[in-house]
Amino acid sequence: MSPTWVYAVTGDLDFAVPDDLEGIGGARVREVHEGRLLAAASSVDAGAFNEESLQRRLADPGELEAMARAHHHVIGTVAEAGTVLPLRLGTVYREDGGVRAMLAERQPEFAATLGWLAGRAECGVKVWASPAALAGSGRAENRAPGGGGGGGGGGAAYLSRRRDELAARDQASRRTAETAAAIHEELASLAVAGRQHRPQDAPAAGPGSAQARDVMVLNGSYLVPVAGLEEFSAGARAAVAGLAGFRLDVTGPWPPYSFADGPTDGPTDGPTDGPTGGEE
Amino acid sequence: MTQPWNPAQAGMTRPPRRGEPASLADILERVLDKGIVIAGDIRVDLLDIELLTIRLRLIVASVDRAREMGIDWWEHDPALSSKARDLEQENRELRDRVGELEGGDQAPDGIPRQRVTSPSDRAR
Repeated sequence: MSPTWVYAVTGDLDFAVPDDLEGIGGARVREVHEGRLLAAASSVDAGAFNEESLQRRLADPGELEAMARAHHHVIGTVAEAGTVLPLRLGTVYREDGGVRAMLAERQPEFAATLGWLAGRAECGVKVWASPAALAGSGRAENRAPGGGGGGGGGGAAYLSRRRDELAARDQASRRTAETAAAIHEELASLAVAGRQHRPQDAPAAGPGSAQARDVMVLNGSYLVPVAGLEEFSAGARAAVAGLAGFRLDVTGPWPPYSFADGPTDGPTDGPTDGPTGGEE
Repeated sequence: MTQPWNPAQAGMTRPPRRGEPASLADILERVLDKGIVIAGDIRVDLLDIELLTIRLRLIVASVDRAREMGIDWWEHDPALSSKARDLEQENRELRDRVGELEGGDQAPDGIPRQRVTSPSDRAR
């Protein structure tokens, strides 16, 4: 018997998986029914998806990417049809019976969360700060070359200047963090709920671009009524518009990944360091 | 699949550019860190996933972009590649790191290197 990979749970019992929907490994996605819930699932190869090989696959970036995209694709397809509860990547049962038992056991909890998520979607907002905003002044970086030489300053003067520079940078980075937190609070107030992801370290733009050195200071997700997505997006833009050196990007709407654990946390919980909160 | 979800239908003012795939980094942080956690029959060590995502973020958040830029970092990263077995380099880096930590009194960067490399250690 092939193991069963589970993508998502929905309460939309009419949901029919499109015939051409492919999941992990190109397998056909099917419905697993139990009571008032339905899981989108597919069979995976037993040899390739035992604990050891799955762990190994997750450690291979190419395989991880393929699995992540397939998992996300199925969840997105279910989300287009109705309210979806996305499952963490790598939820695998020995057979469909295990999936049905899980659905039966957690029915009340899932139903409550699905009710909370109905008609809502996740909006991603990333905020970047320019190097100038991070340094507190646009000139901070141009001053360095030449260093101790000119200006009649001896070693002590240099050290004092250096100390001032470091203090200024420290203060600026604290100010940046405060600004990011304030933006998150404001966005969360425009939304049903807000969650923070860890800011991404990747370059914000390709090399050579003026924005290549911007640093992401906020990576948030906000649960927004589908009918209010445009309004939220405009509100997010307005929140950052007056801040020199800050810019933002809105992504989505996403299936409500960041809110799958229900309304457990306040709207302003801190950045998450990996699995927290809803884990069990 | 070109977008996280049907933004056109939802009427976003500025959805991701048409045809542009959702950023892999955005997908990874959601499918690995978010989504409801249910203990299936086949247990995946979530600690390893956490370490993996931290590692991914430390190096580059978007494999898409890395590919565009011609970077194949995973080929040289023993913690991420099942192919790479560059223990020598890893050991050298660890020795340097230990020397650094013993020499100066700098605080570690918050993510102890031995933790980060543990998934591959275990795999060996």
